[in-house]
Amino acid sequence: MSENCCGLRVGQTVPDFTMDTYEPTKGDFGEIKLDAMKKAGKWTILFFYPADFTFV
Amino acid sequence: MGAEVITISTDTKFVHLAWQREEKMLKDVKYPMGSDTTGKVSRMFGVYDEETGLALRGTFIISPEGKLLNSEVNYYNMGRNIDELMRKFKANLHLSKHTKEGCPSKWKEEGDKTLTPSARMVGKVYEALK
Repeated sequence: MSENCCGLRVGQTVPDFTMDTYEPTKGDFGEIKLDAMKKAGKWTILFFYPADFTFV
Repeated sequence: MGAEVITISTDTKFVHLAWQREEKMLKDVKYPMGSDTTGKVSRMFGVYDEETGLALRGTFIISPEGKLLNSEVNYYNMGRNIDELMRKFKANLHLSKHTKEGCPSKWKEEGDKTLTPSARMVGKVYEALK
């Protein structure tokens, strides 16, 4: 997997990644993989934010 | 609508659990809350702030083929507009099915006027949008 130090540019292919999650619908921890989302034919929207328990 | 929304911060999954349970504004949250404690994914998208260890307010739309199609990054104190996010997502969806079209700046939803670029339209976009 090639890591881009300065951030991906629009138009590039996003490398597959895996991330730990908390899933409110299950009330349990889980994992998401970009690879699985692609295989399911889904669009992925990543919404980054600084920290829990804060505002805005 | 065929999209998986994932929120991501550098908090641990335990903090996500506590926050979702505690904050009434989050009680209807159905999407996975990603935990990027090492900042690996945040760095991949260029939103990791090395000074604070936190992620900036970035939104990225990735197609089912894995291509990054949209990027919006705001500094800490400015929230993102969800209507705009929905607009961008719907436009992406439309364009994936109509690959020869373009969505002009006023396009908001399915049914709005699009442009189909061609040699005949050069210098005549005003007429095309009427």
